[in-house]
Amino acid sequence: MQIVTLSLKKPNKIPIEADNVNPDNFAGKTEGEIKAIPVWYGNGQCPLGDFFNVSVEGSDSAENTKIVFKGDVSRVKRIGQNMSAGEIEINGNVDMHCGFGMKGGKIVINGDADSWLGCEMMGGEIVLNGNASYYVGSGYRGESCGMRGGKITVNGNTRDYVGEHMCGGEIIVKGNVGLLPAISNNGGKIVIEGNATMPASEMKSGTVIIKGEVSDLLPSYKEEGTEEVEGVIYRKFTGDVNVGGKGVLLIK
Amino acid sequence: MSEMLIKNANVCDPVQGINCETMDICIRDGKIVESVSGSAKIIDAEGRLTMAGGFDGHTHSAGKINVGRFMNPNDARKNLVPGLSGQVARTEKTRAQVGYNTPNTYAIGYRYAKLGYTTICEAAIPLLAARHTHEEFKEIPILDKMGLSLFGSNWQVMEYIRDKEPEKLAAYVSWGLRASRGYGVKIVNPGGGEAWGWGKNVSGLYDPVPNFDVTPAEILMGLAEANERLQLPHSVHVHCNNLGKPGNYATTIETMKLFEKINPSRDRQALHVTHVQFNAYAGTSWRDFETGAPMVADYVNGADHMTFDLGQVIFGPAVTMTADGPVEYANARMLHEKWSNQDIELEDASGVVPLFYSPKSFVNAVQWAIGLELALLVKDPWKVMFTTDSPNGGSFVNYPEAFTYLMSAKRREEVISGFSKMAIDRMVLPGIDRELDFYELAVMTRGIQSKMYSMPEKGNLKVGSDADIAIYDILPGQIDPSTEYAKVKKAFSGAAYTLKDGEVVVKDGEIEATPKGKVYWVNAKVPANIDIAMQKDIDVKFRKYYTVSKSNYMVEDTYLQKPVEIATEGVF
Repeated sequence: MQIVTLSLKKPNKIPIEADNVNPDNFAGKTEGEIKAIPVWYGNGQCPLGDFFNVSVEGSDSAENTKIVFKGDVSRVKRIGQNMSAGEIEINGNVDMHCGFGMKGGKIVINGDADSWLGCEMMGGEIVLNGNASYYVGSGYRGESCGMRGGKITVNGNTRDYVGEHMCGGEIIVKGNVGLLPAISNNGGKIVIEGNATMPASEMKSGTVIIKGEVSDLLPSYKEEGTEEVEGVIYRKFTGDVNVGGKGVLLIK
Repeated sequence: MSEMLIKNANVCDPVQGINCETMDICIRDGKIVESVSGSAKIIDAEGRLTMAGGFDGHTHSAGKINVGRFMNPNDARKNLVPGLSGQVARTEKTRAQVGYNTPNTYAIGYRYAKLGYTTICEAAIPLLAARHTHEEFKEIPILDKMGLSLFGSNWQVMEYIRDKEPEKLAAYVSWGLRASRGYGVKIVNPGGGEAWGWGKNVSGLYDPVPNFDVTPAEILMGLAEANERLQLPHSVHVHCNNLGKPGNYATTIETMKLFEKINPSRDRQALHVTHVQFNAYAGTSWRDFETGAPMVADYVNGADHMTFDLGQVIFGPAVTMTADGPVEYANARMLHEKWSNQDIELEDASGVVPLFYSPKSFVNAVQWAIGLELALLVKDPWKVMFTTDSPNGGSFVNYPEAFTYLMSAKRREEVISGFSKMAIDRMVLPGIDRELDFYELAVMTRGIQSKMYSMPEKGNLKVGSDADIAIYDILPGQIDPSTEYAKVKKAFSGAAYTLKDGEVVVKDGEIEATPKGKVYWVNAKVPANIDIAMQKDIDVKFRKYYTVSKSNYMVEDTYLQKPVEIATEGVF
């Protein structure tokens, strides 16, 4: 087991783009080597050691590497980008694009996450013990496929466009979501335990379960009886007929 | 005075009939000359393959491509051909680059230069939107540029043809070229753009255009006659009716036959048919779709009045962009894709739809084969221009990959082995063993362009020509392209040297310098009395219909960077 602890020296205003900060890149490296990893800071590159105190315990492969963030990393973007194994624990709020393109491993965030959490992720797991902002598990501008695999659990609320263009994987939100969750999705499963507004517009396929209140259910859905999931009976809707969709929307 | 001597170049220059002969090339002040003084700078080519700078005679690189850019912001991230696509940070010599099918303007210049290309011809300039095209030209570094202006669904053109006023029609074409600073006449789905304004299309050469009482055949003949009357350097450049429809090969051959009676006014073809791959489909629907290339190639082999280009398909993402509005609507509906549609007022329509060519789709596999079949079944390479109709069939950065398909039967077999049996049954490519050599490749990528655009100073290494030269890391005698295709692809992907007007712009596949390129346009002279009569007619159009005034319509000199005016004299 290798444990790397990164504690922010002082809060930064200009964002740090930590796209090199993941277990794949840290595994087997010494404190000095990790400190020297370059990250973008504004329009220039600086070594990671300029911003973080780094301590390393042990040395192991990516699967057995854990990165622990201490301090307020709410201006550090792209943590865990493209990671394929290992674990990242963030104790505080985190900036945008956390877990983008993630293929495996696990990210635990004990705080809030900004927009684009787990975008286009293909595997692995993200657990957010706080609230998320816009576009959880969605695709970037112009993409027809957002999240393709893996699992995101949000133990708080999220804002708009959860799972936009999602093609696979699973998103669970324990709290409420904003406008248009599951917009244009084409696969995968989204479970919302709280309330939602205008869910699943332009859904082609996939499953959306909403356990709380639904506002402004779209008229482009056909009601087709009921379906029981884990002992609870839901009204079953299919659509979105506007796009010839065969998605399933289950609501109370 | 700057002088340069390229020593030990293994020159392949079909315009002069030189087939891989070792010689020296002398350059003075951007031109190729007989000899240079002893103080000339020397480049030792060390026996490597040397050709004139490549010339892409049909590409969508300025204008509509911008619609493609904002429809596909995700394209900026695509990096399918490392080194020639994706996001590249700026350097001391180059600006930042993004994209694959729709790269930013700077990337277009750098990447063509890396492939050894030095001239491009934008395939479609709507007259009304010509300023935008020229604004993009200005920001494409290194390359010389020119563009073809759209006339195929233009109200004034159709009225003059209906009213049998060939002289005024010629005057209008001349004015249109001047207004848009275009190089030649492009006709896209003649009449179809106007029909699309009514939600319709024309179904063939003799289907009248709504409200104009002219047929596509009459539009083609009228414009061809005007083209020859003005003695334009290029023939009409035709995108046939029924593009992308199974069974359309018949319309294509019919269109080619129509031009047998046109006498070219210059030493060039009477007709250029573009991206024929999209127009060489047999069958009656997508279910029984199959190649129509053998029939088209058969006709072309017996014809000597025309040239064509391929529109080769490259597997992967592409962006279709054309003035053929109804085709793009059909694409978007069939593929459930994003769709952009544009109305060019009195002139034409246009559309943009991204798509994905997959080797697993039997239709896409057959499309891929048709392009190669056309190139290989037509015996005379002087009739065939190589294009992918970039980015309609695929991005130009894939040219080196496509060259390996043309040069190696083994490489083709490799690709075909991944196709379904149904796809293989619908193509004739597996039975073709012809492999192009460097000479034939040079014809299709340089030589034919020099002739078909009447540009004696381009696409060859004659004394007096522009010193646009590409040296590739290939020793022609010591390589077998049919087996060593990986080496061929690598060499064509990054020229050892690209020279533009005698200046080294690429060295070892990296950009060395980014000079500004020239813009060619054609000024065809028309007698004053005919011009005045024609202007009266278009004044009415501007007053009654256009959203802009005539004075704001013309592309002014300030839009042109290093303009080169080609003057011709109309015969009236």
